[in-house]
Order: sequence, then structure tokens, then C-alpha cells
Amino acid sequence: MFVLQIIGNILIGVSVAFMALGVFGIFKFDDFYKRVLIVSKIDTVGMLTLIIGLMLRHGFSFFSGKLLLIWIIMIVLSPLVAHIVLKASFQAGYRLDGEIIEPKELEDLNENEENIEE
Amino acid sequence: MELVLWAMIIFLACYIVRVVKGPTIWDRLLGMNLISAKIIMIIIIFASMNNTGYLLDFAIIYSLFGFIGTIFIALFLSKQKLGRRRGKK
Repeated sequence: MFVLQIIGNILIGVSVAFMALGVFGIFKFDDFYKRVLIVSKIDTVGMLTLIIGLMLRHGFSFFSGKLLLIWIIMIVLSPLVAHIVLKASFQAGYRLDGEIIEPKELEDLNENEENIEE
Repeated sequence: MELVLWAMIIFLACYIVRVVKGPTIWDRLLGMNLISAKIIMIIIIFASMNNTGYLLDFAIIYSLFGFIGTIFIALFLSKQKLGRRRGKK
């Protein structure tokens, strides 16, 4: 039983390390696309290890049951939101390295994409 | 566990700095998403420290609303005519 507590503590330590890397990543990268690529992944993984670590500390109880539910929500929703934010920024005309496409040029760009699909 | 809680609060402050400093509106949206994820973690750690189970319900509901809010803001922004900002680059 005591071994679970130790593993839980180690996992929580690992998740704090992930968080630190995520914060470091968000300040190191200068462009939005690079930043999202790094931080969304690290933040999700950090949270998941944190939740698993806490579940191990609390053993088999309602508490870790609710933690499992949060774990499921996080593993589904967090990458989804990162994807949606990225897709929205791409459609709004934000390109790599801060280059922004004006709305007027954007319309003909979108029309070209539709033709390709047909 | 207090150490982990303090670490989370410090990371939250760093994300707030990024939201304030973020050049484009998309950085701010990303920052808001991360802040809501960070708040969920703080709730979870606080709940596990005090061994109170009902706090986790708040975390579940808050995470759902936070993510849904971010999704709709992103959808709204993608339809806006967001040309280059008239002021500085």
C-alpha cells in the first residue's frame, strides 16, 4: 500500500516538471503556431500524470473515481480545444511568423480551397 | 503537497503574463484556455489535500464550461474580419 503512495508522489513530481517545461516553452517560442504546438501537448500530459498520481495516492475510492472522470474529460477535450483554436486562427488568416493575410485576399484563398475539394 | 500548489500558482501567474503580453489575439485565447486548465489543477490539488470529494464536481463542471467557452470564442473569432491591426504591427 505504501508503495502506491511513493509512485503517486513521483508522478506528481513528474507532472510539475512537465508544467515547468510548458511554462518555459510558452515564453521561449516567439510565434503562436510553435507555442501552441508545444504547450497544448505538455499541458495535457502534465495534467494527466498529475491526476494519475493523485489517484494512486487515494487508492480505490469515490475520490479517484471522480478523478478518472476528469481524466477522461481532459484527454478528450484538451487536444480538441487546441485543434479548434489553431483551425480558427488559420481560417482568420494568421500565418506563420506573425504574417497576417488581409480579409480581402483571404476570400479568394478560401474560394481556391473549395474548388480543390470538388 | 503545498509545494505543488504553490508551483501551480506560479505557473498560473506566468500564463497570465503571457496573456497580457501575447502579441496576437490567438495567444490570448490560448492563454485563457491554459489558465482554465491550470485552475482545474489547482482545484484538484486543493481537493486532494483536504480530502473533500465534492470539490471535484466543481472541477468537472468548470472544465466543461471553460473548454466550451474557448471553443465558441475561437469559432466567433475565425469568422471576424481580423485584418492587420491598424496600430503597430
